[in-house]
Amino acid sequence: MNEIGRANPSASVLLIEDEAPIRKFLRAALEGQGYAIVETATGQDGITQAATRVPDLVLLDLGLPDVDGFEILRRIREWSALPVIVLTARGQDGDKVRALDAGADDYVTKPFSMPELLARMRVALRHRARAGDDDPVIEVGRLRIDLAGRRVTLGDDEIQLTPIEFRLLGALARHAGRVLTRDALLREVWGPAAVGQHHYLRVYMAQLRRKIETDSARPEFLLTELGVGYRLRDG
Amino acid sequence: MSPADDRSAPRVHEAVPVIPAPAPAGRPPFSPATEMRPWKAYGGSVLIVAACTAIAAFMQRHFDPPNLTMIYLLGVVVAAIAFGRGPAVLTAVLSVAVFDFLFVPPRFNFGVSDTQYLVTFGVMLVVAIVIGTLTAWLREQHEWALYREQRAAELHRQARDLQLQAETERTRSALLSSVSHDLRTPLAVITGAASSLRDGASTLSEPTRQELADTIAEEALRLNRLIGNLLDMTRLEAGALAPRKEWESLEEVVGAALERLEPALQKRPVVLKLARDLPLVPLDAVLFEQAVRNLVENANKYSAAGQPIEILAAIQGDELRFEVADRGPGIRPGEEQRLFEKFYRGANASGQPGVGLGLSICEAIARAHGGTVTAANRPGGGAVFAIWLPLEGTPARGQVPDEELTRAAP
Repeated sequence: MNEIGRANPSASVLLIEDEAPIRKFLRAALEGQGYAIVETATGQDGITQAATRVPDLVLLDLGLPDVDGFEILRRIREWSALPVIVLTARGQDGDKVRALDAGADDYVTKPFSMPELLARMRVALRHRARAGDDDPVIEVGRLRIDLAGRRVTLGDDEIQLTPIEFRLLGALARHAGRVLTRDALLREVWGPAAVGQHHYLRVYMAQLRRKIETDSARPEFLLTELGVGYRLRDG
Repeated sequence: MSPADDRSAPRVHEAVPVIPAPAPAGRPPFSPATEMRPWKAYGGSVLIVAACTAIAAFMQRHFDPPNLTMIYLLGVVVAAIAFGRGPAVLTAVLSVAVFDFLFVPPRFNFGVSDTQYLVTFGVMLVVAIVIGTLTAWLREQHEWALYREQRAAELHRQARDLQLQAETERTRSALLSSVSHDLRTPLAVITGAASSLRDGASTLSEPTRQELADTIAEEALRLNRLIGNLLDMTRLEAGALAPRKEWESLEEVVGAALERLEPALQKRPVVLKLARDLPLVPLDAVLFEQAVRNLVENANKYSAAGQPIEILAAIQGDELRFEVADRGPGIRPGEEQRLFEKFYRGANASGQPGVGLGLSICEAIARAHGGTVTAANRPGGGAVFAIWLPLEGTPARGQVPDEELTRAAP
């Protein structure tokens, strides 16, 4: 979010959004960043375009008039793992969680700023490029997480984590920069039986923050997306 | 203090309360009894006399005729109560006639053998008329009192309705003028800045262009906040935002609020005093974060640059006490509760943008959680706003599985 790096010029984006003014400014802003844009106003056409053009990333408005956004997400996920970022309206936390659980990579809430969207897009494209070869070391500022060596250091200090704390941090690190829903985290760390037990996360996130953050109420690394999940800050 | 700033004095015409013409004063409306058709009332008198006669006929074996007059007097009283004065007099006259005809020797004719009975008749008639008149008068008084009471209640209700209506109308006009002003100001700025950028692209210096762009972004966010507040208030009032409580970490909720307020707070110091042993508390994190954000935004708005904001959370008895304190101008005495009213702007609010919804939303959120809000001045200057939430149920900490138990998970 700090700097707006130029994207790979070949990166193509499919924009599925029914509001013409939003398409207009997104096209202008994204083309300015070097992306190639294909836009469509309907969900039906969006599904076709996604299959025929095979873009590098999809920006999907959840509130389309013709096809339900979740349906589009489901149809795309039937054949492809291409990154999808959903555009949602304010206050619809339930929709965000549903979209993420249905396979969306991330979301931005309207109104969003361009740096915010570009940061999400970069993270999503990077994860796509990296898919399959799990990077064993993730670095975020002074925080270094060695997944293979099971070591976490903050600057020069080694941080001692319990197994649960490490699994939690590891899950967030593997998706660095992306939001993980609470249930996805619970499933990954505690197993499927723990889904819904959101307070586990609150207790362990608090412990983790106490060990990693300078001020755990104003976290530098472990961000809370209230009503949705958690995100390890990227870069 | 007007609910809106003077600059946005309501332009919408207030509804002029129209008081419905009161019912003509003086006589009460005809009571149900006198409203009865006259022939029915007089017919009733005849029936009463007939009934009295039946009773008297039954009693005459054991009582002297003068005693039987008492039965007829009773009939007169009943007629006076039930039908009013006229029928009472008719009852009296009929009673005398029937009594004379049936019970006074010689029986079955109107002749009177003993002249004493003439006195009895005279007294009976006078007593009947007096009792009838008095009873009828009492009844009228009673009806009149009832009528006045009803009318007073009706007038009171109408006055209250009108007052409510006027208040709603005032609130609505204040809202309209205030909201349209607050919507237009950022729109005017955005329109102006955007058109400058469009038309003067080649002549504007780079710093000026940057400044215009920043202004557009800031004002757009302000618009977004205002619309958000209006929506939240509407939804809270409609009961559409019922809290979904979970065991939440206050540190996390406050952290999220501060993260979102980062651009607005800029360099302002924020001192966090969250009790170290604070347990998880039952609340709707999304709603409570909104309340926290509104309190911090409020403190930020009324504090001079560089003045710190303090955020405190602690358990006090069986309540959570959450406070946001500032070093701003404080609260004018008497405004402590009014500040939480919708569209109410404090005496110290003039010159600050806003419609007076932020604190009302806090109050609505606290109330939805079963809690309350308070406002007070701080020793040393500034205001402190507090949310008090009831703590119920067992803290979830004990329910979180230990490390040992979860090691088996995949």
